[in-house]
Amino acid sequence: MMSMERIIRSGERIALAHYHLDPEQWEAMLTAPGRALSLLSCWADEQRVYVLFLDGDCPLMASTPVEDRRYLAPSSRFPAAEWGERVAYDLWGVEAMSACGDGRPALDDGFWETTWPLSSRPGPGGQAMPLPAGRSRLRAETTGLSGPLELSFDVLRGAVQGLSVDAGLAHRGVLQRMVGLSPEEALPLVARMTAGGFVAHPMAFCRAVAQARGLQPGPGTRDAWMILLEIERISVHLFDMARTARAVDAGLLATHCEHAREAIAAACAEQGVPRRLTDVITCEGVRSGLEIVPLAHAVLEVMYSRMAQLRELQSVFAPRLKGLAVLAPAQAREFAVGGLVGRASGRSLDVRRREVGMRLDALRATGSSDGDAAARDALRLTEIRDSLALIKRILGSIGMDDDEPAPEATQEGIGAAEGARGDVWYWVRLKNGKIESVHARDPAVSLLPVLHRVLQGEAPERLSAGLKSLALAPSGVAM
Amino acid sequence: MTAFQTMGPLSVLHAFLNVSRWRVSADKGMSVRPDTINLYVLETGGCEGCAMEVESLCGSAFALEQYGFARVTDPADADWLLVTGPMGRACVQMLERVWNAMPAGKSLVAVGACAVDGGMFGPNYATLGGLKALTPVRRAIPGCPPSPQDILVGLQRLAER
Ligand code: SF4
Repeated sequence: MMSMERIIRSGERIALAHYHLDPEQWEAMLTAPGRALSLLSCWADEQRVYVLFLDGDCPLMASTPVEDRRYLAPSSRFPAAEWGERVAYDLWGVEAMSACGDGRPALDDGFWETTWPLSSRPGPGGQAMPLPAGRSRLRAETTGLSGPLELSFDVLRGAVQGLSVDAGLAHRGVLQRMVGLSPEEALPLVARMTAGGFVAHPMAFCRAVAQARGLQPGPGTRDAWMILLEIERISVHLFDMARTARAVDAGLLATHCEHAREAIAAACAEQGVPRRLTDVITCEGVRSGLEIVPLAHAVLEVMYSRMAQLRELQSVFAPRLKGLAVLAPAQAREFAVGGLVGRASGRSLDVRRREVGMRLDALRATGSSDGDAAARDALRLTEIRDSLALIKRILGSIGMDDDEPAPEATQEGIGAAEGARGDVWYWVRLKNGKIESVHARDPAVSLLPVLHRVLQGEAPERLSAGLKSLALAPSGVAM
Repeated sequence: MTAFQTMGPLSVLHAFLNVSRWRVSADKGMSVRPDTINLYVLETGGCEGCAMEVESLCGSAFALEQYGFARVTDPADADWLLVTGPMGRACVQMLERVWNAMPAGKSLVAVGACAVDGGMFGPNYATLGGLKALTPVRRAIPGCPPSPQDILVGLQRLAER
């Protein structure tokens, strides 16, 4: 019997890591014995259904045709694929057979102008369904998150049970807006995918585009991108720490995080760079006029003087976050939760470690297996320390050559970036220089299938603090 | 220098005293309002960039209250509704719910390009394309995203009208 990876690789290779499978091979992949690959994302349109895996630390992708608007559900093997299947149904009206889960809408709760809006046969808009009687709600405007997301749940003896998530409110059809544009024309949309990834999303996208075009970003671009990504990580971690701290009345820690984040923004502005690093990544490298070395030095200077105090305050207030919103290591493994949340629950995935030119010795954070809000908060600060070390190491050898050969141009590419909130992935297919098809996977999506487990048993009034600690971004979930 | 270099005797008190040293404030020339305008913030499906900048403005790095504004978490206490994002069709009920809960004399302020007309997220099957699709937008603060200072200056200008 063949392993899952070998079944995929027995298909027709049409790009660096993408294999076309026929329906028999697809079924064999989903029923292959032995260890399953880690699923990163699942998506579909009217023509094909796709799955993106991690094989070791490399991406591996498979797809098969959608026939009669149906396909065998990847969620029959990978529960985490369910979200992508539901999104595909809402957008295209294609059905996943033998899917796990209850098939509730993912994005379209009946408010859209049309049903299956991207399909060749869209229908009239639906009707919003009322909430079943007796269920409690955390309304979208009261979650304390920066974007709209609604929770419904039962309360049993003061504890949350049977939680479900309505994540469709933030959907704005960004990916569909990109189709038909050149990558350069689409970049401003990518650069506003989600505010926690103003650098990470464009970076992953530009890496995918470079691969599709058979280009390898040079060492100067590579290092500038790495530094910008670390500055974003520091800033977003500070934001997430501050918001979590406020949720548990740790105002002093929040205050110091907020001041540090504003000081970084001011340092950027003083260097002539947008405060939150918006629009700094381009397909060719970085925006013209951006001087990466003085920017990096300015950020190091801002942060070094603050780190000891942040660490002290974080440890003083840590007990308030103990036991809050626990993601058990087994669940993190089962649902392939990556990013900081995964690392605080015992998973070691960090896509920076596989990057060409990465100064690996700077990445010392070992994560935790406690999986609670305290573990995530402590890890955020440790990762800030590592980011500062990494920036310093890159400055010591900036532009160091690595002789990485350019990939073959196949008009398809996969790109990744380890953003502050986790691994961001893009897949693009170009035709005549324009985007023919595109998919993005934000790390927030990997939290959806575990959210009800993580928040189960919490008191309803602690839900908001739990969500803040997970740093769930509705804009990244729904796009 | 290491990131966690010790700085002598550290204490929570020391951290407390440091806060005022690091406080970022808006331009000195800005006028201070005698009465407080209460702000309720609502994000309607954008990238969250504007919402996060409003959140920064409401945090401790800015002296929002000193300029006569305060953030409230109950719409019943709010004078102004600050809307960010391109107004997803699914968000209209939420907007109505919050608007109806606000007391009379309320005002609507669009913060950021999306909130005015959708910005780069114009109307489609899921998005209305900003408040403009629902009502004339008379109060707006441009930007994508506007900085906390821009938002504060914008709020002050609107308060002076
Ligand atoms: S105006 Fe710009 S920053 Fe603000 S929500 Fe829209 S895209 Fe994001």
